[in-house]
Amino acid sequence: MLDWGYKYLMCPPQHFGVLYEINPWMHHEVQVDTEKAQAQWQFLVDTLQAAGASIVLQEPAPGWPDLVFTANAGIVSGDLFVASRFRHPERQGETPLDIAWFRAHGYRIEMLPEDIGHEGAGDALPFGDVLLSGYRFRSDMQAHTAISHLVKTAVRPIELVDDRLYHLDLSFCPLDERRAIMAPLAWDVYGCKVMEQLVPEPLVLEAYEALTFCANSVVVGKLVVMPSCPPRVGRRLESWGFSVVVCPVDEFLKAGGGCRCLTLALDVTLGRKAPEKENVSTDSDLSTGEGEVSLIQGESDG
Amino acid sequence: MAATALVELEGHIVDSLMLAKVLDIILDVGADYVVEEFRLGKTQQDMSFVRVQVTAKNDHALDALLEELQVHGVNRLVLVETDAVTLPASQDGVFPSGFCVTTNLVTEVRLGGVWRSVSNPEMDCGLRVVGEGEGLRVDTVPMHRVMKGEQIVVGNTGVRVSSVILPGRGGHFAFMNSEVSPEKPKGLLVRRVAERIRFARENGQKILVVAGPSVVHTGAAPELARLVGEGWVDVLFAGNGFATHDMEANVMGTSLGVSVMQGTPIEGGHSNHLRVINEIRRCGSIMAAVENGYVNGGVMYECVQKAVPFVLAGSIRDDGPLPDVVTDMPEAVDRMRGHLEGVGVALMLASTLHAIATGNLLPVWVETYCVDINQSVVTKLSDRGSHQALGIVTDVGLFVRELAACLC
Repeated sequence: MLDWGYKYLMCPPQHFGVLYEINPWMHHEVQVDTEKAQAQWQFLVDTLQAAGASIVLQEPAPGWPDLVFTANAGIVSGDLFVASRFRHPERQGETPLDIAWFRAHGYRIEMLPEDIGHEGAGDALPFGDVLLSGYRFRSDMQAHTAISHLVKTAVRPIELVDDRLYHLDLSFCPLDERRAIMAPLAWDVYGCKVMEQLVPEPLVLEAYEALTFCANSVVVGKLVVMPSCPPRVGRRLESWGFSVVVCPVDEFLKAGGGCRCLTLALDVTLGRKAPEKENVSTDSDLSTGEGEVSLIQGESDG
Repeated sequence: MAATALVELEGHIVDSLMLAKVLDIILDVGADYVVEEFRLGKTQQDMSFVRVQVTAKNDHALDALLEELQVHGVNRLVLVETDAVTLPASQDGVFPSGFCVTTNLVTEVRLGGVWRSVSNPEMDCGLRVVGEGEGLRVDTVPMHRVMKGEQIVVGNTGVRVSSVILPGRGGHFAFMNSEVSPEKPKGLLVRRVAERIRFARENGQKILVVAGPSVVHTGAAPELARLVGEGWVDVLFAGNGFATHDMEANVMGTSLGVSVMQGTPIEGGHSNHLRVINEIRRCGSIMAAVENGYVNGGVMYECVQKAVPFVLAGSIRDDGPLPDVVTDMPEAVDRMRGHLEGVGVALMLASTLHAIATGNLLPVWVETYCVDINQSVVTKLSDRGSHQALGIVTDVGLFVRELAACLC
């Protein structure tokens, strides 16, 4: 089981809406049903709390609709908060609000160099003792050196190549020390190789599965809270001993965000021991039956 | 012209395959790289660092590549440009200590914040700054010519040389791309050289011929004379031997005592060239010997008739020598230098020492063809820095005849 994921920062969606278009999912003409969004968000909160996680709230702010996606506030490690630097001006106003919240709650605040973009936990997820960090669409490769210095952890940059999965948390979800949900569709060939080396037991998503945002899930112990759950993925998770709860967040999908995007884990301390790669149990659903699963597109079934 | 930049990448670049990816990207777009510095992090947490020199085929390709690499965290190293440092020469013929030694590549020197091209790149010289203000310029100066008080560039600060695409790697030099090979269709090569000579001529460039005595021994002197007579040679460098045997062949019909018509030794022929040298010394110069009718044909005759300048440089084993032979070596080299401006094609014909001496003086952009039956001459020329030299391993007599047939 993961030793983090029991405390989350969330922001109520009072001011949420699709007011601009900064990813392929956002369409200005699509209206958000505010009441439905509020109900979906509350259901997510209730589900996480029921699973044993504590939820801490951030004050929503008018004019910053995406503040609801707290995963993008920054990177948390122990009492350190590395604030994001948003690429799009539409979101840059969130950073002072995030910094104010973390400062008020006793965190040490660190900033990335001014000309470097990085969108926080949305593009940075820990696995074992390394931090995986996506780059290209929202975050800059150059950020990784600075982040690594600040959080004192090895960072593995992963190039994102599919703009529909523009943040790393749309294609990668650590489940425990050995397992993760992974959507190689989103990664370049080198990223696939790195992931293949790193994760002993991957749950590899087909493209159509990945595009349901099912990797954008929140893991609380053995419970996986998912925006949607394709049947094959659910069966695999259950065979590994996980329970699945689907929290529909389709109002937030209109802005390109799922369950994980609405949460920021606060109980993360980066730099853990790496899992052993030995004794990999072959994922019978995914492998070709001839050795290890290859994530590289064209070589895998997906 | 190839464009180069220094770039750096730092971070966890090894396990993340970032380094492999970046180097792959460079090669995939047809550029090349040299890893200048690589520091591998000791533990998994330590960062690694790499500094790479990237070379693309031109500025445009380099910019596009650097833009792509930037996405992967590769930053161009911005070098702080500083002016070159100069010191005055403390005495004639001696450079200041630490003087910048030149190459024959395109060279620029930064002075007053402006990069200035060196007017006459030549290897193994110093860089001299002359003039002031608008008239400020930089030239190369050989050691023996530097004068006390002249400003000489010291160190490599503020000096840059451009990579060149070597002949044979594309463009109009695409033929003969293995440096030297005896196994080439010679007729084709000769025709291509003829084309290059015509091209140079049409573009107002000069043709330089460096000739060894074998040109005469192999019976090719009349054909070379025809090339001179028809205006295909603008300047001739040779030694005492070539000029002597050329005139011996004209006056006596022999070359080093061997009949150039029959190919057999003539009785008493071993003295022929000495008698010719003696007569020309009596005349006072080759020009005088032509004017008084003693020499009435051959390469030297045509040079005089066509006012084609020639420099005859002496050597320690010369007979005579001819009165025109310059026996002061630095003086001879200086005279050769004086004829190099505007040379576009250099043809080295069966000459080893004079070919290498000339190669040492030529900037890298002069198309240099080295024709010799002996492959090692071409190799020697390249080994001494004249990388632009293209070798044609063949009998020089046949080559010159073919060339004359193509051009005349």
